[in-house]
Amino acid sequence: MPKKWYRLDTAALIFPAISRRDWSNAFRFSATLSEPVDPEILERALGDLKKRFPSFFVRLGQGLFWYYLEESSEPVRVMPDFAYPLTFMSRRELSRNCLRVLFYKNRIAVEFFHSLTDGHGGSVFLATLVARYLELKYGIDIPCEGPVRDPDEPPPAAETEDSFLKYAAGSAASENEPKAYRLRGSREPDGFRHLTTGTVETQVLLDAAHRYGVSATAFLAAVMAESVIAIQAAERPPKRQKPVRITIPVDLRKLFPSSTVRNFALVLNVGVDPRFGSYTLEDLCRVIWHTLQAEATPQNMAGMIAANVEPQKITLLRLAPVWLKNVVMDLVYLRRGEGGGCLNVSNLSVFSLPEAMAPYVTRAEFIIGPQRSYPHNCSVLSYRGKTYINMIRCIRESELERLFFSRLVELGIPVDIETNRR
Amino acid sequence: MYCVKCGVRLQEGVTACPLCGTPVWNPEEKPGEKTYPDTLPRRHSESNLPSLFFLTALTVVVIVVELAVCLKLYGALRWGGFAAGGVLLFYIVAVLPFWFRRPLMVAFLPVDFLAAGLFVWYIAFATGGRWFWSFAFPVIGIACLLTVGLYVLLKYIRRGKLFIFGGFLILVGGFTVLIELFESVTFHTPMFLWSLFPLAGFFTAGLFLLLGGIIPPLHRAIKRRLFF
Repeated sequence: MPKKWYRLDTAALIFPAISRRDWSNAFRFSATLSEPVDPEILERALGDLKKRFPSFFVRLGQGLFWYYLEESSEPVRVMPDFAYPLTFMSRRELSRNCLRVLFYKNRIAVEFFHSLTDGHGGSVFLATLVARYLELKYGIDIPCEGPVRDPDEPPPAAETEDSFLKYAAGSAASENEPKAYRLRGSREPDGFRHLTTGTVETQVLLDAAHRYGVSATAFLAAVMAESVIAIQAAERPPKRQKPVRITIPVDLRKLFPSSTVRNFALVLNVGVDPRFGSYTLEDLCRVIWHTLQAEATPQNMAGMIAANVEPQKITLLRLAPVWLKNVVMDLVYLRRGEGGGCLNVSNLSVFSLPEAMAPYVTRAEFIIGPQRSYPHNCSVLSYRGKTYINMIRCIRESELERLFFSRLVELGIPVDIETNRR
Repeated sequence: MYCVKCGVRLQEGVTACPLCGTPVWNPEEKPGEKTYPDTLPRRHSESNLPSLFFLTALTVVVIVVELAVCLKLYGALRWGGFAAGGVLLFYIVAVLPFWFRRPLMVAFLPVDFLAAGLFVWYIAFATGGRWFWSFAFPVIGIACLLTVGLYVLLKYIRRGKLFIFGGFLILVGGFTVLIELFESVTFHTPMFLWSLFPLAGFFTAGLFLLLGGIIPPLHRAIKRRLFF
């Protein structure tokens, strides 16, 4: 039987092009169980998912003009976790498989190369994997609700479509944005990632956000912006400061009727310019909340999708060899993709597993790796009344984490801190 | 257990707050469980060996072709020798360090200058020029000393950049006078025809940086202007 292959979706195209010898764009989903993980059962559960999620069990191939994803002949191995999440995914590894399944004590983690899928697809994959694992281990029956899919069903075509192409507007939105402030620090020479997890009660967080009249995402982004503003203020005089903007990914499935498990998210850079004056937390919350409300509309996002899709349609660009595309995409990405924000605050909101899984799954987390040109990132996931705020960094200094979490405490939100100590 | 400074609750068994570094200690607390294992991944970055092999093979092929063409056409090396030497020099300067995981630049810089010196000596030898020992050799030698000196000072001394660069600029100014001296000795040109101008320029710039090192307000002004 010929091997199945997929074109990279519109958002996925960028990730192989911007990979470097020591950096690639990946993210991680993990679930902590009530008992230690049995790797053999996990491997069986993983094998059972292959038919249902064919677009995940793929390798990254390089054609003359484009990269592509092709059904992998090597099975995805289940392996023990490392000292830090999201260890480097090399080109050699991606040419075999684009995802990893890791375990440590009670925790199952899946790390995805971003060309495969986005946070939503990742959560669906992990939920189905854990559900299958629990079925095999405890012989329980788990209904296919929420993110859990039936592994025995054939995959619907709508799940592997490139929804960007489907929902692009007739004309493209302008993409010019001012360059944002760049956080810096002393990089870890061996690529170590410091992970700081702050656990808060979801209800307490929501209450605090509602006191400011905004959503949890806007609230966390505002606190983060406040922390970045403080770091910049300590570093340079007001005249030389740059805009502080937080990159917030928007799940487009909430705006368009798509059920794809591949990439279907875009980012908005929202924030303020500290040169124009000082901002209180109320101001920041208001600015971020209203910008999100105004920009995350189906019409505006369709325009942004079109801006991403249009370059793919230019014949001359299509005919350019892949290495030339890499150079061009790399430059465009650094200027437009990463240049506009200081760091991500990626909130996937609530991870709601079926009730039957609740006694077995005690915790769930979502972690994104540091970006190529900025050292921090923050990702948020809520599960069973707790919100896990994961801040990752590839530098030694923990100043941003300190400012951010201690500000949350000041605002009346108790925070429990955990780190992957070195 | 809480951090008194940040107000966050900490994992069991930590000895300091991971956010601010404040020591914490609770004699009754047992060591907590680690959230991640100690295993580090084996490889951190991709190998650049394929590109190195490719560049090396390319260099060898280019040199062999150049030499072969010249030998075939003229029966002698002629321009092929110069071109091959140039390619080899480029390889030594730009490619050779990448064969090492952590190239020791203090060692590579003199090697680069040695290669450049040999290349120039070959040109002088092949063209019958009598300018190598009295002109090219001292010029390359002093350039090597200045460059290595600057590199060592910048690499191993953390502070005093303004003094280092100021001193370097003044030495470069003096070096231009020496170049003219060697030129005058070798080619019998009149002395002090051009070198005093760069000397004055480099000396003024160097003095400005040295003063910047001594006078704090000037130091701050330079830092502000050269901020990026």
